[in-house]
Amino acid sequence: MNSDHRASPSEVLRPKNVGAPIKRTEDPRLLAGSGEYTADRKPDRPLHLAFLRSGLPHARIVRIDTAAALEAPGVVAVFTAEDIAGDFKPVIPFSRMPNYYATPILPLASEKVRYVGEAVAAVVATSRYLAEDALELIEIDYEPLRPVARAEMAVADGAPLLHEEAGTNVLIAREFSKGDVAADLGVAAVRVRGRFEMTRKAPLAMEPRSYTAEYEKRRDALTLYTSSNIPGIVRDAISESLSLPGHRLRVVAPDVGGSFGSKGSLYPEELLICIAARKLRRSVKWTADRLEDVSSSSQAFAEIVDAEMGFDANGVATSLQADVIGDVGAFSIYPWTCGLEPVQVVSFLPGPYKIRSYRGAVRGVATCKPPTGPYRGVGRPISTFVAERLMDMGAKALGIDPLEIRRRNLVRAEEFPYRIASGIIWDKTGFIECLEAAAAAAGYEQLRKQQAEARRHGRLLGIGIASYAELTGIGSRIAVAPGMPINTGSETARITIDSTGAITAAFGVASHGQGLETTLAQIVADDLGARFEDVRVIQGDSDEVPMSTGTYASRSAVLGGGAAKHASKILREKIKRVASHLLEANADDLEVTEGKVAVLGTDRAVSFKQIAKAVYSDMKTLPIDAREELTATYTYDPINGTTAAATHIAMVEVDPATCFVKIHKFVVAEDCGRIINPMIVDGQVHGGVAQGIGAALFEELIYDEEGQLLTASLVDYVIPSAPEVPLMDVVHVESESAVAGGFRGMGEGGTIGAPAAIANAIADALSPFDADVSVLPMTPERIFRLMQNAKFKAKEKSND
Amino acid sequence: MKPASFDYASPATVEAAIEALVASNGEGKVLAGGQSLLPLLNFRMTRPSVLVDLNGIEGLSYIEDRGDRIAIGALTRHRDLEHSPLVASRLPVMSAAMRHVAHLAIRNRGTIGGGLAHADPAAELPMLAAFYDARISVQGPNGHRVIAAQEFFVDALTNCLEPHEIVVEIEFPILDHDGWAFEEVARRFGDFALASIAVSVRRGPSRLEDARIAVMGVADTPLRLKAAEAELVALALDDEIPERFSEIVVAQVSPNDDLHASGEYRGHLLGELSKRALRTALAQAERAA
Repeated sequence: MNSDHRASPSEVLRPKNVGAPIKRTEDPRLLAGSGEYTADRKPDRPLHLAFLRSGLPHARIVRIDTAAALEAPGVVAVFTAEDIAGDFKPVIPFSRMPNYYATPILPLASEKVRYVGEAVAAVVATSRYLAEDALELIEIDYEPLRPVARAEMAVADGAPLLHEEAGTNVLIAREFSKGDVAADLGVAAVRVRGRFEMTRKAPLAMEPRSYTAEYEKRRDALTLYTSSNIPGIVRDAISESLSLPGHRLRVVAPDVGGSFGSKGSLYPEELLICIAARKLRRSVKWTADRLEDVSSSSQAFAEIVDAEMGFDANGVATSLQADVIGDVGAFSIYPWTCGLEPVQVVSFLPGPYKIRSYRGAVRGVATCKPPTGPYRGVGRPISTFVAERLMDMGAKALGIDPLEIRRRNLVRAEEFPYRIASGIIWDKTGFIECLEAAAAAAGYEQLRKQQAEARRHGRLLGIGIASYAELTGIGSRIAVAPGMPINTGSETARITIDSTGAITAAFGVASHGQGLETTLAQIVADDLGARFEDVRVIQGDSDEVPMSTGTYASRSAVLGGGAAKHASKILREKIKRVASHLLEANADDLEVTEGKVAVLGTDRAVSFKQIAKAVYSDMKTLPIDAREELTATYTYDPINGTTAAATHIAMVEVDPATCFVKIHKFVVAEDCGRIINPMIVDGQVHGGVAQGIGAALFEELIYDEEGQLLTASLVDYVIPSAPEVPLMDVVHVESESAVAGGFRGMGEGGTIGAPAAIANAIADALSPFDADVSVLPMTPERIFRLMQNAKFKAKEKSND
Repeated sequence: MKPASFDYASPATVEAAIEALVASNGEGKVLAGGQSLLPLLNFRMTRPSVLVDLNGIEGLSYIEDRGDRIAIGALTRHRDLEHSPLVASRLPVMSAAMRHVAHLAIRNRGTIGGGLAHADPAAELPMLAAFYDARISVQGPNGHRVIAAQEFFVDALTNCLEPHEIVVEIEFPILDHDGWAFEEVARRFGDFALASIAVSVRRGPSRLEDARIAVMGVADTPLRLKAAEAELVALALDDEIPERFSEIVVAQVSPNDDLHASGEYRGHLLGELSKRALRTALAQAERAA
């Protein structure tokens, strides 16, 4: 079930495609197995890479002997850090943040290994099988060092240092504050506090990371096919590292099978495969197997938050403070830095609420684990989890309904733009509208009655609400990651009508499942006046636009879409000028629609094909100075970006016998501005919520005290499958944003709201036990513990 | 994640398969459904010199009525057991349990002989073998022998087969009972069991005349709980019986902690499942009377 609430629809001249549930152009090829992923590339006689990875969490590399591996059948080369030392410059994830130490990105571990799974040596052979055989012949002598497996251990006195040069394991420290928190907490009517944790999680894209470096002897050039969602950033970084100009280094993200952030940073393997291809003057392929993907792709969350919120007697939250420790793993990532995830937790913690005073301090701490990096929602799943738990705890202490307390604290329509206590500015968005729409769609009052009835029969039913806001489509004035020097605030579209009349729209943004090939074509078709099926979208190819970064941070609909709109309009004006010659009519009297230009009120028209012929081929029709090339390029920068918001409501039941959680109802009311394609928006919400359910109930990367990964396969790393994901109701509150097209980003929101809503619902279900839901995922084992502890406490009380 | 190199043999008879194993000097492995073996190969956790593929051998896939028992060929797929009317009518606990065996694609390939030989303590088929007191026929270079299920499973992932022996048939004695239940809890449908119990009873006028109980996921091998069977038969058929039965079952096991659940939680689950299972089995027996 979906319903649309258009808060303030704008007048667009006959929109045909934007807003329509058009089936995805990508699907016929992807669903029929005709897609082309990086591993499907078939360069001439490619070589295959395999990596020898560290089995130790922390050790000094004393000696590596590759002689036997070099002699093995099919082996062409074996590389260690020493062998490639002169072939690249380290890539540094620089940031202007104070109290930040930038660890370099190195293709292979040098001198030390710092986590289990770190690549130490690489074998290049004629097949992956032979390469893996040869890995077993490499001998490495390690001098083991004490592992640092937990963030708390990393900051303890005398802890071994991962990066001795840094002088500390704290790679980043930051504090935000506004107002007098201590004073406000001191006079608060109610104070609630807790120690919250979201454990480490794997992004787990269906397609593991994959790279194919295709070498062109003729001009010593490389094309890197990469399963990346930031092909533009990868191009610029490798170009710099390998001193290869952009016209000799093309980076293409072809069909990409998901990322969720795990393909959104530059990887050591990406650097190494380019180095290997150049050294060997051959094309080289590598695809991570699942074990490599789980143990070496960037991971998510891993934060502990001590937080406290103060309320006045009316339930208005007045003050909030938090101390966050983020277990960021062994290295910073490029370009986002290790500050990306933990710093976002404190910068978004006040959320959509008008909290007066705030102090949020964060430390990102190095441990012997793979780096954490971007993951759908970045920082906000946990900031929302913490703020929404505190909001419910406050409501309970004050005897106010959880829905009502949010009404009293959310920023209201007349208060936008609103600067929250951490400094983020929300532009006008439907915060309250989402809350009310979700409550209406869920039948909130009815659910409460149902819950009361169920409780009388001893059933543990609970209802949870989570409201959040996020920044999307961020322009050049705000850095996506704090203090980062690269520009992520603009994107380019180049739209061309060629001599056959065909329309090609090229973008630097890259789709890894978002359906941009469809949505960008919808925008171009409307704004150019073309037919949807006539627009071909090219994306994720560094040869197509001079500069791009990629698709991340819910930006591509806003930035790519904005560029598409502007470039389309420029090209439409050119078309009109040509058509006015051909039709001998004033350009103002022309209408461009369905791939034709017509004189208003007449049946006189010319097609794009006729226009192209006149410009490019038939040299008799137009005067020379009217033969304008039918192409337009526009680089769009939304300057600030725009807010997106949603409210999620979950009703769950805890089975006291099995301690399993069943989700009976899940409602999302979201505001992503003007919807380009409602089917794609629904799909993004469904997928995001499914991942949020994973974070709330199932997924956890478990490292033991020695830094060994215990959940390295999909037998032990448990993700929700179809039966664990309920039907959902999605309500769209389309309040238009101020950016071009009125769009807002919406690819991440599902994952932000769901964990908090489910956590609140479980806490509500367990309220007869007065149990603390403060760690996610809430596995059956954790629920069992909560219930046992509550029973134990109750028993102690009755014994007193 | 590619296997080390190995030879491949596809014999046409069991005898030829045994010869191939003997020729490998204990370095060979038997390939049946391959659902557990292939991941182990890819992780290089096992590195056989030769894979002896049984799939080319005729006559190892059947489900046969032998009066007081059902005989099942070692190469019979899980999916065939799941959908067999004969299994449904004569081995109802097996029939109910089969849908819990992993996922459809795995049930299409996996075989009963392979599942038993793999001896996973949280897998349904080894538990069913223990539950029914199955007799496992194996063939080796020294001929044929029959092994009782309780001797077959030695430890987690360890059976009692000699190096060159192959499972060829399993016989399941039919229980003359009138009520049964199979209960299992797994994190997700198709996952390995966190705890599971199978119960079958024959009900007399005031007491149970016979009972059969097996559990899995709570020890290194599946367990038939003979002592608990005797205690259950001794209990009066009153309202308290599910609760008392649950205590009896839990007292028989001491599950260990692992990644997925603590021993304490597994014990709790087994207790809850015991209550449910006995209630279901008794209700069924009452209807049958």
